[in-house]
Amino acid sequence: MLKYLVKRVLWMIPLLIGISLISFFIMHLAPGDITNNEAAFNPKASEESRQKLRELYNLDKPVIVQYGLWLKRMGTLDFGNSFASHQKPVFWQTTDKDGNVTKGMIQEALPITLMINILGLIITLSLAIPLGIIAARKYTLWQDKSITLFNFIGFSIPGFWLSLLLMYWLGVMNNWLPISGLHSINYESLDTWAKIKDSISHLILPVIIPSVTGLAGITLFVKNGMLDVFHQDYITTARAKGLSEHKVVYTHALRNALLPLITIVGLSIPGLIGGSVIAETIFAIPGMGKLFFDSVLMRDFPVIMGILTIGSALTLIGNLLADLAYAWADPRVRRGVVRN
Amino acid sequence: MNKALFKKALSNPLAMVGFIIIVSVFVLAMLAPVISPYDPNDIDVKAILLAPSWQHWMGTDGLGRDVLSRMLHGGRISLLVGLVAVGIATAIGIVLGAISGYYRGWVDTLIMRLVDVMLSIPSFFLILAVIAFLTPSIWNIMIVIGLTSWMGVTRLVRAEFLSLSGREFVLASRTLGAKDARLIFTHLLPNSLTPIIVSAVLGVAGAVLMESGLSFLGLGVQAPQASWGNILTDGKEYIQFAWWLSLFPGLAILITVLGYNLLGEGLRDALDPRSNNK
Amino acid sequence: MTSCGKPNQDTTDYTKTFPVESGGMLIDATIGEPSGLIYMVAGESAAAAISGNIFNKLLKYDKNLDIEGELAESWLISSDQKTITFKLKPNLKWADGKPLTSEDVLFTWKLVTDENTRSPYASDYQLVKKAEAPDPNTFSVTYDKAYAPALDSWSGLQVLPKHLLEKQDIHTTAFARNPVGSHYYKLDSWTHGENLKLSRNPNSVLGPANIDKLVTRIIPDNSAQFLELMADNIDSMGLDPIKYSRIVPARPELQKKLALYKELGNSYTYLGFNLKHKPFDDIRVRKAINYAIDKQEIIDGVYLGLGINIASPYKPGTRWSNPELKPYPYDVEKAKALLKEAGFADSDGDGIVERDGKPFAFEIITNQNKEREKSAVLIQRRLKDVGIDVQIRAIEWASFISRFIKTGDFDVVVLGWGLGLDPDQFSIWHSSQNQPGQFNFINYNNPQIDTLLEQGRLELNPDKRMKIYHEFAKVLLEDSPIVYLSAGYGLTAIHKRVKGIVSPAPPAGIGYNSHEWYIPEQLRRAETGRNEIAEK
Repeated sequence: MLKYLVKRVLWMIPLLIGISLISFFIMHLAPGDITNNEAAFNPKASEESRQKLRELYNLDKPVIVQYGLWLKRMGTLDFGNSFASHQKPVFWQTTDKDGNVTKGMIQEALPITLMINILGLIITLSLAIPLGIIAARKYTLWQDKSITLFNFIGFSIPGFWLSLLLMYWLGVMNNWLPISGLHSINYESLDTWAKIKDSISHLILPVIIPSVTGLAGITLFVKNGMLDVFHQDYITTARAKGLSEHKVVYTHALRNALLPLITIVGLSIPGLIGGSVIAETIFAIPGMGKLFFDSVLMRDFPVIMGILTIGSALTLIGNLLADLAYAWADPRVRRGVVRN
Repeated sequence: MNKALFKKALSNPLAMVGFIIIVSVFVLAMLAPVISPYDPNDIDVKAILLAPSWQHWMGTDGLGRDVLSRMLHGGRISLLVGLVAVGIATAIGIVLGAISGYYRGWVDTLIMRLVDVMLSIPSFFLILAVIAFLTPSIWNIMIVIGLTSWMGVTRLVRAEFLSLSGREFVLASRTLGAKDARLIFTHLLPNSLTPIIVSAVLGVAGAVLMESGLSFLGLGVQAPQASWGNILTDGKEYIQFAWWLSLFPGLAILITVLGYNLLGEGLRDALDPRSNNK
Repeated sequence: MTSCGKPNQDTTDYTKTFPVESGGMLIDATIGEPSGLIYMVAGESAAAAISGNIFNKLLKYDKNLDIEGELAESWLISSDQKTITFKLKPNLKWADGKPLTSEDVLFTWKLVTDENTRSPYASDYQLVKKAEAPDPNTFSVTYDKAYAPALDSWSGLQVLPKHLLEKQDIHTTAFARNPVGSHYYKLDSWTHGENLKLSRNPNSVLGPANIDKLVTRIIPDNSAQFLELMADNIDSMGLDPIKYSRIVPARPELQKKLALYKELGNSYTYLGFNLKHKPFDDIRVRKAINYAIDKQEIIDGVYLGLGINIASPYKPGTRWSNPELKPYPYDVEKAKALLKEAGFADSDGDGIVERDGKPFAFEIITNQNKEREKSAVLIQRRLKDVGIDVQIRAIEWASFISRFIKTGDFDVVVLGWGLGLDPDQFSIWHSSQNQPGQFNFINYNNPQIDTLLEQGRLELNPDKRMKIYHEFAKVLLEDSPIVYLSAGYGLTAIHKRVKGIVSPAPPAGIGYNSHEWYIPEQLRRAETGRNEIAEK
């Protein structure tokens, strides 16, 4: 197992290098010297900070040297300071000489996005697994078809449209849920219980809408996984042994069908992080997506690079965790029978 | 592609519905210049925000333009974005997948690592950044969506090639001295076409949705050219009042994307050997 | 009284009159979060709206747009017109109780002109050759030569506390997120990405405001903001013409609780030519286009009548606006004749005019602003009528600036200018101001205009100054480097629970007396339920 882990971690190195290459390329997509062109739009990015930026990215050096240095900075997670937001550090907090702590922009935004996405993932999975099982058991029957249709409708609605319709219906017409934001104005003055209630009611729409959209993929995956397992010998054997259908489905088939789901969840991380742009904009949530979009509009390069890199690194970590979980759950991998 | 397979897919009622939707939307978009009751850019400041009526089936927008005509013309743009983006992605996917699956070795490793890298970067972030830096235009949007969504096809083609290359007819032609290119184009590629088409059909659905999302953020097809995404974005401001401005484009996107998904899934199902035994 | 706030069942009568009382909370919303609250370095409008409630200036404009003292009790202009001496009001205090003196003003001036501060607003203050604080109540500035916009500039500089900012790096200081000012309000809390809460400053130098708390929520999407307004979760919001004249009036439940205000803003929309590009260097072509555009149609169609036609770059009705000037009328025949005179004719019969075999075609670029986009579409059609083929591109703001405006890579733009209250427009029209990043990006170069702009800066006599700018506007109109499209009204909806708003708006706009606005206790948000506000 340890050997597997080491190997798996080593695998990440070439990927990280690839990611660094692509984000390096993106930065150079802006024509000319970025410090002259785009940054100059921002009055705060004037000569001194431009010079800093030039040094930060070593723009006076040959491209290959620049890249090497960028790689080095990436390794130490040093993404510099934002030039659109009062020189806030991009990634993690810094303390200045007077002892003032300034929080990092990603540090503030990431937990919010992670929380919403993890909650969303839990809801997606808790809906998709039962739906997938039903669809597989009633394969090609009306139950299967309605589930498919329902899921695809969810997937096909433009998310921001659905969000606005629900905000109007639930927030304005009926006043059941808050419309946007993470907390009520009077949040601070509430008691603990009311605080929890307040947070939950604010999270309902932003969590549920993306889950509905993501339901189709995972349900199909569970369904197909179940169907695969149904056709395998050991299930037939189990059936032949006279085990009840219930037992066949829930002990044998399900466990084997769910294993690959771990991988899929790992792979869905970049989509979830990327998809947060629209949801966070419409629901006024200060997460990674909103931060990235704002930075793109402000041409705040240090933040853009930071988010691209951290976002990708998160995916790699997610995939690693998924693989480890898979290895742990699947005895064949654990024993080294199957590799990679 | 395989006719029998297609027939089998369409015997699934959901896939059939999808197929009908796609064909109707396609025909409507093609016929837009002929069937549009008005010029989509024809303004009439005296007829702003009219509710649907016999004159304007889908009402008028904030400049008095006929929404139905804009929807029809916008449909052409939205579908064009979808088809071209997927075309680009599929072309890249086929080339890289074929190289990878046919030659294997270090080329394969390299390409597969590239796929892994691309899959780990949040692609919507990539698309946003690139389109914003290059300034949004319909061509940039198509190209960027295409360049960021080829990974699935690459994996698929590679897998098909790997499995096909062990098959007898390939081995036979190889022993008979067939050239690589010939082998790829006459034997391997046609045999892996069906899954490629399935993935392309599903890809169009994603690209149409992507364009509407970009429009919401102001980085989609730019006004005054109509696309479903930007008509919907225009209309969202008045969602509770001038409901026709958002309802029709919203439904158009929903139905079209649904159509592509249903057909795509139907085809995938039909391809699946399991569906034979049930 | 709304209990658990179902807005549709709101039975409160908001039209009753109530006596003035203090307390209550006013909630508004902003699309973008300020980067900090030190306006001289932050610079966005979101920062200005909030920091303006926290910091004072030496001078301010009153409701009729005459200058009066804010921190200053009086000011004296020397006989050579180069020195202004301000006397501060006695016993001024910062919110933290420390005295506010002329040292603070001097410190602020040093800060804004400091190279390291890199303030976008520095240029006005850099003209000051000497600034002094001889005693705690006196602050004086001396210019090299008379500078007419000087007083206006001192009504724009927010005075910062020296004792908290000295030796701090203005760009990284925690003060930007935790400011201490002297105005009606002080910052209570700032929840990143969610809201900023202000409460009354007990040491306010201008006395207490009526409303206890101001909350600004950060809501990036406009439609979501409007939903919040409908659901009574925010009290005020800027509206577009469609919401103002079609939507709110059509909905009784909105009519009942929202009061609509319109005020003529100090801004206008225009179509500007890149004068370096042919054929826009030809005055006949510019005039032809001016005649070919139907401005009334734009006002009716885009602004739904909520705008006015202008002929000078000043707010109509103010002293700087020349009442004798008339906008170019819509006149297709004249436009065609001028084009013909300039050598354009449709020789191949395709409906587009050509000169030297090249069809007259160009692209109008604009940023993503609904009103500007729509104006461009209307212009496109009108120019087609005279044989000009126009394409339109609406581009996201940052690309727009960096890709097109800064590089000068454009033919025609549709944009807007927001103006200050001083008539000086040196930075927009003077031929020296056409470097990349400067405001004269249309490359306007007219020696007569340059002279008038230079004179206007030196002239302190208001009547003589007025004549100079009337002349300036006349030459400008005749030369037609831009086509004035319209000056739109600023449109705002404010919940009717907010009383004390002067309507119709005085020249300074409805906000001039916001400290006198009040929310009667009976009309405040309910204590329970989600709309609840902790009042005490």
